[in-house]
Amino acid sequence: MDKLYSEIVVAGCGNPLYADDGFGPAVVERLKGMELPKNVTVVDAGLGGPHFVFTLLNPESTKALIIVDIADFGGEPGELRWLTVDELPEGSYLDAHSWDLTEPLQCIKDDILIRVLVCQKKYVSAPEMDIGITDEVQRAIPGAVSEIIKEIRMNYGNA
Amino acid sequence: MTKVVEISPTTRHEGHSKLTLKVNDQGIVERGDWLSITPVRGVEKLAIGKTMEQVPKIASRVCGICPVAHCLASIEAMEASIGCEIPKDAKLLRVILHAANRLHSIALHNILILPDFYIPGTETKINPFSKEEPFRSVATRIFRIREIAQTIAAIAGGEAIHPSNPRIGGMYQNVSPRAKQKIADLAKEGLVLVHEQMEFMLDVIRDMQNREYVTVGGQNIPIPKTLGYHNQGVMATSPMYGSSSLDENPTWDVTRWKETRPWEWYMGEVTIDLEDPNYPIGGTTKAGTRANPQMEACNSVPTYDGQPVEVGPRARLATFKNFNEKGTFAQHIARQMEYPDCLYTILKCLDDLDTSGKVIADHIPQGDGSMGWAANEAPRGTDIHLAKVKDGRVLWYEMLVPTTWNFPTCSRGLKGAPWQIAEMVVRAYDPCVSCATHMIVVDEKNRIVAQRIIQ
Repeated sequence: MDKLYSEIVVAGCGNPLYADDGFGPAVVERLKGMELPKNVTVVDAGLGGPHFVFTLLNPESTKALIIVDIADFGGEPGELRWLTVDELPEGSYLDAHSWDLTEPLQCIKDDILIRVLVCQKKYVSAPEMDIGITDEVQRAIPGAVSEIIKEIRMNYGNA
Repeated sequence: MTKVVEISPTTRHEGHSKLTLKVNDQGIVERGDWLSITPVRGVEKLAIGKTMEQVPKIASRVCGICPVAHCLASIEAMEASIGCEIPKDAKLLRVILHAANRLHSIALHNILILPDFYIPGTETKINPFSKEEPFRSVATRIFRIREIAQTIAAIAGGEAIHPSNPRIGGMYQNVSPRAKQKIADLAKEGLVLVHEQMEFMLDVIRDMQNREYVTVGGQNIPIPKTLGYHNQGVMATSPMYGSSSLDENPTWDVTRWKETRPWEWYMGEVTIDLEDPNYPIGGTTKAGTRANPQMEACNSVPTYDGQPVEVGPRARLATFKNFNEKGTFAQHIARQMEYPDCLYTILKCLDDLDTSGKVIADHIPQGDGSMGWAANEAPRGTDIHLAKVKDGRVLWYEMLVPTTWNFPTCSRGLKGAPWQIAEMVVRAYDPCVSCATHMIVVDEKNRIVAQRIIQ
């Protein structure tokens, strides 16, 4: 490992303790079992995306960030959709420390290409803990993996 | 006449908490209650019946800030319960991961507190997000320290955020000689930076400590010399790593711990009758609003020898290094003084690490239901996990996390502070509120009597 984050970073966000919120880490787990190009870093960001990843990306070495998460956009459970940062609802990725009340993605979006792959949730249990993704969202995992590979290949031609 | 003012939510720390403060005519806190308002997580209940391998993974997801501390404390609580000693090289890798995690946390906390402070000798508050000098250089240095810390954690721990390498019985794999050299190179580069950063922070903190006033919401607020002082004790198990019930001489005693009911600790229903719309950010709670800390608190109140205690950097330095300063500024100073220790610890571990040594125990017992505990000296203080494992399954599990210890202690430390700088007192503890949100209460015979879930 020469650098913490490489040219392309895929960050799975969410908490597996809250049912479908574990989608992002589950997609990352699947990606980790695959052989990916050396310039791709896949990270299970859990709940720590804003302060452990987004505020630690260096635009000199990282050119693209792909975030994988669940969302509620009124689709069918398990439906996938690509979003840009500006399409995210306000406050989507506020740092847990509320450190400067700005959104970390807004700070880096001009320097780093950001794509957000979201899956329509069916059930999120928070604050109750319930481990296990619903069948509909589980079935979306291979599609999400395929979308991410396509995205990497389309932009960088190396996957 | 006593008035009540409320700051909700408090900011620049993890999670949701609030301050309900009874203040006198001069705005000085006569009684302060700092409490979690983060919804309760029932992790202890969820753990029951799970395998001992699953529970550390669950525990590490309790919050987004402290996965490393919870992962290590949870694994070691399981190992303590089943009586599993791990190989020396596995322990060294865990200590490296732990020290890197603390290093990152100190640097991150610098960013959170710097807006409260001034450039020494000036009336300019520090904005770590500004692209102007001298802020930019400081921010660049903090960024690099965080990057170094997370890279070391990723090498030793498999991943920096949710480490994949630690496991019951040791670690999944040792590091290669090349990876060991990489950690050493990063640690040496980091040492230069942390010394510079520590000196900078000490200058900034001492400057503030010597000031008469601080500007908050456009007003000059006097800074008492005793800001954050309390008469509670301190608790720490080690200057760096921690302790467990497997140790020959454990440094924590489970029989001295007891949890009390939060509704016996916090104030009852009050009506807010002091309001300041200019208080950052967005003003205080509106006058006329009712508050009821007794019922709203989502944290329990643990005691050690019958009293709340302070945990964290000051507690560690006071316990192990004769550090005798008190209060908010002492906590900040102690935290900076831990900067170089993190990297010296990593370098010492590397000296002792044999990259061809085994990192998994030959035999991993499945447990007979005995209680074991492990304390991890997390960045914010002593993080204790307790477990009973039988036939590989968890029968009982409890987490006593740093900010849970600090909630009642900090509340005592608010007395005597102008209410406008109460948040400065809170931030000196570097709270992680999500972890601290539990509501399991045991009676005087240590039986569980209440486990409330508050929405």
